Amino acid sequence: MTSPTPIINIEHISKIYEMGDEKVYALRDVSLTISKGEYVALMGPSGSGKSTLMNMLGCLDTPTSGRYEFNGANVNELDDDELAEIRNREIGFVFQTFNLLPRATALSNVELPLVYSGMKADARHRRAAETLASVGLAERTGHKPNELSGGQRQRVAIARALVTQPSIILADEPTGNLDSKTGQEIMALFDELYRQGNTVILVTHEEDIARHARRIVRLRDGLIESDKSNGASA
Amino acid sequence: MNAAESIAIALDAVRAQKLRSGLTLLSISIGVFAIIASTGITTALQNAVNMQMATLGEHSFLIQRTPTLTFGGSWRKYMRRKPITLEQARQFRDRMTLTNLISISNTNPSYVIKAGQTSTDPDVALIGADDLYFNVNAVNLSEGRPFSLHEGEQGGNVAILGNDVVVKLFPRGGAVGSTVTIRNQTFRVIGILEVRGGVMGQSQDNRVLIPMPIFDRYFTWEWDRSVDVSVKAASAEALPATVDEATGILRALRGVKPWEENTFELDTNDALTAQFSGFSVALLAVAWISGIGALVAAGIGIMNMMLVSVRERTREIGVRKALGARRAWIVRQFLIESVTLCQLGGMAGTAAGIGTSWAVTTLLRNTGMQTLVFDMPWGAVIFSVVICTAIGIGFGLYPAFRAASLDPIEALRYE
Repeated sequence: MTSPTPIINIEHISKIYEMGDEKVYALRDVSLTISKGEYVALMGPSGSGKSTLMNMLGCLDTPTSGRYEFNGANVNELDDDELAEIRNREIGFVFQTFNLLPRATALSNVELPLVYSGMKADARHRRAAETLASVGLAERTGHKPNELSGGQRQRVAIARALVTQPSIILADEPTGNLDSKTGQEIMALFDELYRQGNTVILVTHEEDIARHARRIVRLRDGLIESDKSNGASA
Repeated sequence: MNAAESIAIALDAVRAQKLRSGLTLLSISIGVFAIIASTGITTALQNAVNMQMATLGEHSFLIQRTPTLTFGGSWRKYMRRKPITLEQARQFRDRMTLTNLISISNTNPSYVIKAGQTSTDPDVALIGADDLYFNVNAVNLSEGRPFSLHEGEQGGNVAILGNDVVVKLFPRGGAVGSTVTIRNQTFRVIGILEVRGGVMGQSQDNRVLIPMPIFDRYFTWEWDRSVDVSVKAASAEALPATVDEATGILRALRGVKPWEENTFELDTNDALTAQFSGFSVALLAVAWISGIGALVAAGIGIMNMMLVSVRERTREIGVRKALGARRAWIVRQFLIESVTLCQLGGMAGTAAGIGTSWAVTTLLRNTGMQTLVFDMPWGAVIFSVVICTAIGIGFGLYPAFRAASLDPIEALRYE
């Protein structure tokens, strides 16, 4: 099942939250490997540890114990700024609530990660405009989020995730705030990104959405319950 | 893009919270205003005092019951002093040995001067003068003659007119030799003063001189009979000794006990300078201290605004961190925002301060000091830009660091 180049390699990681005297295990001794070009869905009910695992994969959080290698780098040893740099270069986030900056135009929103990576202004504009065009929003670069539909906003967010050409795209319930028709359009976009060779990780609790992925990892009570390839995918 | 964006966000915050940000920015404005206006006005007054000193002459000094410039000070103390009477002044003059260039004079404002059917506004300064007045005070005539010794000591119904009065009463000339009426007394015009312009807010030309004895008898109010004594030392070197002699004689004449302080003012250029610099230091200290106080209070307001801004934008900070913003970027963004807020208030205060200084200077100039020039207080302007930046950074640091150290996961979850 694993292909030769693993991007994500998690070995026996646990995440423990201390609530007063009580220790809460969000993840218990989880191991997972994801390779370049995979299309994975992380599934599970709330409280299953799905969100914690996603934060860990997205380098927003570090494990209490265990080892996490991202593209060969040991994430456990990185400080805040180094984690920020990995998120900037390697990870494209897509959120359920889009999380666009309301005052900025679509183009500025897409440019933002490039600002943080230190790219020069004209190169940035060009790259952001191209990326917006690739998600079908060439005509909407000057619009602010409140001038766009929900589907268009999520496309802007996807363009923002893609613009740094990251190693993985990490989408957290990307269709959760969209009607089912628009949701299908967005999923078609993810399928297309996968076909172009991107590594896509979906976090969802909807079977319909998870079905798009080639591999489904199910979590329950902080443990991996099942990890199967999905034969009947798009 | 990011700096412009941060500035735009700061302006948005002001718009969104008009009252709260208005009050905070107002207190910055007040602080900056106090600093700039006080500096500007003090500079204008300094110019005015310099001009006053220029007219006093280098080695002359003036003896009066009360100081020329009373700034704050103990006005009551001065008012308790007994007047310097004409008699006392004459005794003083007779006892002085180091110089005989001593003139006794007195001034009352607000007289009407009439010539036939024409009369001036009731704002002519009436001056009682003696024969030495012209020499000691460096007053020259453009026409006619000064008072004689006899007129200066015994009196006589003669008058010397300032140019403003001449222009008003004798527009077709022929002033010398004509008569004018002041409070039912008739005076023969014997001379016209050279045009002098204005000093300290008063035209030097809107005046009429009459002999001191007449002035003292008919034109002095009982409560203000005190005369002024101008003394011109023989030379600049002789000035200190002359001042000492004058002080000693006057103390003796006025019965001042050795342990008591003078009951009169003796103003040399140096004394005027000292009085004025005492005043300007006091004004500047009060204004700068209260200005800086207002700025510190404003800084706390700015900190509060920024903390609210950080809280309101927690989610945005989470997004930025998720997209790879390092701590320094977040800190920078919030510092730009708080400095922008401070500069906004600072600009308003600077404009108000410069406006006020300009208005005061213009007022002084229009009331006589034609040569007074408004000096742009550039130093104070630069200071206010610097201090606004310092306050923006100083009080913005804590909110900015709080924003930068937010946990991205918590921040993204924030509703």
